[in-house]
Formats: sequence, C-alpha cells, structure tokens
Amino acid sequence: MQTPDPISKPITIAGHWNFEYRYFAGAVASRFFNEIKINRRIMGTRVPSTGRVLVPARSFCDASYERTGEWVEVGPEGTLDIFTIVAAKFPGLPDPPFVMGYVTLDGADTAVLNYVRGVDLTDIEAAGNKLMAKPRVRAIFSDVREGRITDFHFELIAPI
Amino acid sequence: MGISPNSAYIQGVAISVTWADAERSLPDLIFETVTGALSNAGAKMAEMDSVVLAAHDLVDGRSLSSMVTAPAAGAYMRDEIRLADDGLVAASLAAARIEAGESEFSVVAACGRASEGDFQRTSQTAFDPFMIQPLGLDEFSLSALRLSAWLQRHPGLEDSRRRAGQARARRAGSNGRALKSGGHAPNLWHPLRQEEAPCMADIVVAAILGPRPARVRIAGTGHSTDSSNVGDRDLLRMPSLAQAAERALSSASMQSRDIDLFELEGATLFDEAYALEVLGLAAPGQGFATYADGTGINPSGGGASGWCYPAMGLVRLAECYLQLTGQAQGVQVPGRLRAALATGFSPVGAQSHGAMVLVTA
Amino acid sequence: MRDPVAIIGVGQTTYRRRHVERNTAELVRDAVEAALTDAQIDSDAIGVIVGGVAPDALAGINHIDMASISRPGVPYFRVNTGGATGSSAFLAAMSWIASGRCDVALVVAVERMGYATTAQAVFNSIFDPIYEKDISISTISMIAMRATMLMQEYGYTTDHWASLAAKNSLASQNNDTLENPRLFDKAQVLASPILSWPIRTLEACPMSEGVCVAVLASEKFVGARRAAWVLGTGAFSDAYAMGDRIRRPEGSLVELLTLRRSAEKAYREAGIANPSEVIDCVEIQAPFASAEAMAYSALGLCEAKNGPAFLDRLLEGRTRALVNPSGGPQAANPVSATALIRIVECALQVRGLAGKRQLDGVRHAVATGQGGATQFSTAVVLGSNRP
Repeated sequence: MQTPDPISKPITIAGHWNFEYRYFAGAVASRFFNEIKINRRIMGTRVPSTGRVLVPARSFCDASYERTGEWVEVGPEGTLDIFTIVAAKFPGLPDPPFVMGYVTLDGADTAVLNYVRGVDLTDIEAAGNKLMAKPRVRAIFSDVREGRITDFHFELIAPI
Repeated sequence: MGISPNSAYIQGVAISVTWADAERSLPDLIFETVTGALSNAGAKMAEMDSVVLAAHDLVDGRSLSSMVTAPAAGAYMRDEIRLADDGLVAASLAAARIEAGESEFSVVAACGRASEGDFQRTSQTAFDPFMIQPLGLDEFSLSALRLSAWLQRHPGLEDSRRRAGQARARRAGSNGRALKSGGHAPNLWHPLRQEEAPCMADIVVAAILGPRPARVRIAGTGHSTDSSNVGDRDLLRMPSLAQAAERALSSASMQSRDIDLFELEGATLFDEAYALEVLGLAAPGQGFATYADGTGINPSGGGASGWCYPAMGLVRLAECYLQLTGQAQGVQVPGRLRAALATGFSPVGAQSHGAMVLVTA
Repeated sequence: MRDPVAIIGVGQTTYRRRHVERNTAELVRDAVEAALTDAQIDSDAIGVIVGGVAPDALAGINHIDMASISRPGVPYFRVNTGGATGSSAFLAAMSWIASGRCDVALVVAVERMGYATTAQAVFNSIFDPIYEKDISISTISMIAMRATMLMQEYGYTTDHWASLAAKNSLASQNNDTLENPRLFDKAQVLASPILSWPIRTLEACPMSEGVCVAVLASEKFVGARRAAWVLGTGAFSDAYAMGDRIRRPEGSLVELLTLRRSAEKAYREAGIANPSEVIDCVEIQAPFASAEAMAYSALGLCEAKNGPAFLDRLLEGRTRALVNPSGGPQAANPVSATALIRIVECALQVRGLAGKRQLDGVRHAVATGQGGATQFSTAVVLGSNRP
C-alpha cells in the first residue's frame, strides 16, 4: 500500500441541518386538536357543495376550492383502509416495528393517518396478510393530550 | 415582442402582509390571498387552467412545501408547477405559458412566512460550505459589502441616505397593504443600519394572468444571472440586475425613460436605492437622493412594508399593477401611468434577477 | 397550439451511491459538455437554463444549483416539484421556447444526496407538519400503504412486486449510466428483509447521485440534427392528503388520476388514440415495483382491473410496449433528476442511441414523472418523426 501524500488528503467537513420552526395550525386545525384534547372527540368539516366530510378538519376543500362549513363529529370507530408495517430502522424515525394506516372514521368521507397499536407483530408477514381485510378500528385517546395528532391512535376492535 | 395576439395580461392581484397570525395556517393565507386575487380579477377558480407557484422549502419549513401549499392556490386537477425561485419568475413562466398557447388563465402565487422560521439563519446555508459559510454571510451581507464599496466611492452623502430612509418609512406608513404591527428586522452588518433593513413579515401574494381583454399587458420580461462566487462578482455593477432590466425593456421595445413607475426589489434600503444607479435612472452616487425625491420610485415603501423571500418580486409586480389600474390607494402615484417596471431577485446574495415591464392596455 | 420543440442532445453522469471524487459543479460540467457535444452546439446558443433540484436538505446545501448549474449572463431559474422535478423543469423549458423567448434551453437536474445520513427523516419532513408528519410517515411507508391498497383492490401479490423488481434489475445490467447495477432474482427479493410491509429491501430503489441534462430546441433550430420530437405533454396536480383520495369517487389513490389525465392530454396532443397499440417504449418514474404497476392503467396500457394480468404478460415479455428498458428508478433514483432521466432515456430510444439497452424500432415513447405523495404527475410523449 502506498503512503498517502498529506497534501492530497481529502478534507470532509461536518454539517448539521437543523432549523427551528413554529407552525401555525390555524383556526380550523386548532379547533380539531382542541376538540380531541378537551372533549375527546374527532371532528370533521363539511364541504358545502359536495356534502363531503373532511377528516381531519380542513378550512377549505382542495377539490372544490371552497371554504368548508359545519363541524361534524365522526367515529370514534372506523375502518382501516390502507396500512403498512414499518419493520426497518431509519435514522431519525421511531424504532420498528410499528403499524401506521389511513382510517376512514364512521361519518367521514376521507381517511386520517395515525398509528395502529396493539397488533401482534411477532410475525410481520402474517400480521400484514391479516390486516389486508380492512379491519374495524377504534380511536383511543391518550391520557395526557397536548393538542397534536398523536393525542390519539387506533386499536383493532376485534383481534385478528 | 410587440403586441402579439398571445400576449399575457394581468387580470387581478392580491397582497397579504401579516405577522404570526395564529388563526391562519400557511395554506389558509394562500387560499385567502388567491381567492382575493380571483375576486380582484372578477374571475372564478373554475376558469383557471394552470398554477405557477414560487416557494422555498427552507423558508416554509416543509421539505417539499408545495405538497401542502399548491392545493391552497388551486392546483387540484390543474397543470401546476412550483419554482424554488422568486415570485416574479413564476409570473414570467406563467406569461410564457400563455404566450405559447399552453394555458389560457393562470394563477401565480408566492409566499414567504418569516414568522414560522428564521430566514436569515437558513439563508446562511446557501453559501459555499468550505469558503463562505464559516464566515456567516447571509442574504443581507452582500448589501453591506456593496454599500461599503459605494461609500468609498461616494463619501459625504449622509443627508440623502437619511432622507431616502425617511421617504421609504413614510411611504410604508401610507401603504394600506404594509405590515402595521409585528415583524422584525434582520441583523445587518456594518455599514448598513438597522433602519435600512427590510421588515420581515408573512407575505403571500397572488396574481391572475390571462388573455385580453384586460387592463394591464405584460409587455416584456428579462432575466439574468451573476457569478455564484462572491469574490468573482462586481458588487457595484450588478450585471444580472442590469441585464434583466435591459432585456425586459428591449423585449417590450421600450427604454427606461418610457417607464412612469418603478418597483425595484432590494434586500435593504441601499439595494433598492442603488438599483436606480444600476438601471441608469440615477447618476452615480445619486441613488439615495433619487429614491428620496423621485416620484414613481418604490411608492409602496419597498422592503419597509414587509419582506420575505421568495414572494417579493411578485409583490413588486402586484404593486405596479395596482398603480397602473389606480388601485394603489394611500400610495397611488398621481397622474396618468402607462408603463411600469418591476424587478425581483433570487438567492444567493441576489445572484439572479428578473424584470418585467407592464403597460396599460 | 404551440410550435414543435425537440430534444437535440442529452448528457448524463453515471449514477451511483456517491460521487466521491467530483464536486457538484464538476459533475454538472461533465453532463452539460456531453449534452452540448451530442447536440452539436456551443454554450453561446443557450437562451435559458432551467435547474431541477428537489429538497435542499438531501444535499445539505441550500440552493446548491446556484453555484453548480447557473451561468453568468444566462437567464436561470429553479424548479422543485419533488420526484417530478426533472420533468417539471423540462416542461418549463419547453414553455420558454414555445413562447418565442429563446431557441435553445438547457435543462439540468442535479441530485447530491449521497451524504444524507437521514434521507427518510428528510422525506418525513415533506409531509404536513400539522396533521401527518408526527406519524413518522416517509416515502417508503407512503408507497407501502399504496401497495397494500393495490393488493386489496386488484389482487396484486408480493410475488408480483418481487418479480418486477427482478425484471428491472436484469434490464439495468444493460444500462451503462449505472455503476455496479445490482443483479438479483425474485427469490432473493422475497428473502431480503422487510422494510415496510409489503415492501422488501431489494425492491426499494438505491440512494443515488448524478446529473442529467437535456438540450431542447425550437423547430427552426433543430435543422438536420437527430432529434426526439416532443409530441405531447401533460401535467396535473392532486389534493395533498392521500386520505382524501382513498374513497374518492372520481378516482382513487391507486387509480392515479393525475397521471391518467396527464397521459390523456399528452396522447391527445400527439394524436395517439390507442396508446397500447402505438407506444413502443415506456419509462415510468417509479422507485418501487408497486408504483410502477400503478402507472400501467393510468398510461392506458391496460384496464386497472387487468393490471395483474398485464404485469404477468409484461414479465413474460409478451406486451407491445417495453417498460423501463433502462432498469428504471429501481436501478437508480437520483430524486431531483429521476423524472428527467425517464425523458432522456426515451429520447435515446427514439433517436436510436440507447446502446446496449436500445429496443428495436422505437417510434413512440412515453415518460412519466411523479412527485409528492403521487400528487404531481407529468407525461411526455416523444417521437422519432417531426410532428
């Protein structure tokens, strides 16, 4: 092996990429979170022209480009429409395995993303195949709620 | 380019300048501003067939910010594109699409919400990580370097410098669209003074572009770019600004003396005023004086009315539109205005510039 | 209708995990020089440069394009539509030429993610910080959820994903832009660890860096140059939330309404009534097998419900159109460039310059771009003959 010439030694400098932000949720998302935090209920907003109930609550509808109207309580039960089981560790993300999925709560026309807890994940392939049946789930509210989407999660109503 | 049957026209605009309004999310602000521009244009979203956005992920604190923001501008099932560039460039691209016959009506929107993040801090990360970042330069530092070079060449112009600052503050005070409370000034390097800073604010701006008939035609556009290496730049010549304006005027078959109204973008008061010298509108050394005493020169109050990249070029353009259509209210320039020139810039340290000439139809 | 525009030159660096010995500006210069040589033009001819760089965080430098892509005196701007960045930049350059502002445009897409140690954490931060980011969703879990929906709706199986990944890995062996393309078979995919069920490690695209360049020209500038003509284009955007699209009557999440409409518009402009009988080559911007399968029906190659049967025929080599002869993004997926690479690969095919991966007699090719949570779609139809 050749002795490296110190003058040619490649230089690498370390960098960090971390910036602080404060995201304003706005009036509608704030009410959505406060309803969960204070009243333990999940609310959507109705689109006037189509009648669709958007969950989580939105101040306007992307599709019809109009302000939403009345607030509607949905759930707490619903259907796990689609899901995945994260099985690998990615730097900066939580330790696996865990299940996340989109749940259409009863009374809603759109699905909300959240964790699905309490699923037996000892055999991930088997668990994945079972969850394909679009099982019914229920929103479970955390004892300590801080006004974030993680104030609740979903659990299967019946074991699979 | 002359008056082609395919020329693009501005049909309406809206400007929103706020600070840390917790009642409104970023998408809320965009939805309301685009709705306001549609209303100003007397148009409906259903008539729009394309959307061009200008937004920057690090300003928005969302790593692909148009995912969340594009639908708020009406992107749903429309041809939508997002530039990580200044808002005036977005207007230019929308105009190109209309001129090319690719689009009939386009929503152009740009946003920069200074209260959610730290623009000055994130702008530091745009400089070369080996040579420049360790020195802590940010988007405003080059203005300080430019001013020090200018002061060496033009000493003893303290009076005009002070008057330019007063004029800018006065105009911002008369501008109903300016930020009224909140905001903050970035930390500026010597020889810049804090009162020469822009007022960091939450800016959302939208314009509706379309075919004739309309009151304001986009008569010319121009763009250019400077060297990226700060040491290679001629800070006082600002070739990219000069070329962008020259190209916009020549594509409109006009000269600067044909322009009644200027809205010139700059990171600081000095850059706004110095643009007058670069464009040949003020004699060397007379930028501050012309800024203070001229009519139709940044009547909006420029950066003192509220500032955040990458919205500003489109704000300058929207202010020109409001002036040309007599809707500028408290800062309306009297008399008949037929032509206006707006400029905008993009990082790093105003490395690229865009310019647009508007004329009354 | 706009005047015709063509691709007259392309240039690519190799795509690999990390380009250790070249800085970004050097990589750009390599690809640009190759493209200008291919186009037989000097750099003086360039009227605009459109840069494509997706999330700044992947490179760890804000506006890396300004020091590496832009050139003094030349109009320059940057496009960022996530995974569709490359094709969006291409469409913006087309608009610039078609409006008459210039005759020649350079599109330069750069990906410099090789040193990002937390790519999935960056991809988590593309999601809405109010409602979704806290659930640690990233691009892999996002694609995995759509894969479960494809399996539920149409009967695709994990075997399908593994077989398709193996097919693309085999094709990638012919692609000389790839350094050390991975070669594996279906059994190896199925035996590889689960990343995010139903996705396994070998199905996922590798992290890749590189630069892709295309030179576009107006009809009058093309002259006798060997051109890939742009016959049609389309671009559509969707609602942000995937949850809004799962039960949407107008078209579900996996029906890929935006790509369907983009392709319909592009085919209409190209005068193509039946794409499955006309298109010879398809390059789909799909970093995972399930994302590729989702595009087939949106591109009009089959009915959605017949997707699995179409995929079976594709795997047996019995379809008219050949999909991803380059190996596609499963072989290399430099995020900012990947959608431009699809267009450039199609341009090489219709110009007959694709080397070992050249297909026979390609007259029509279609390339897709896909950004966000399948939110931004583009379709570009290229042809060997002047329209």
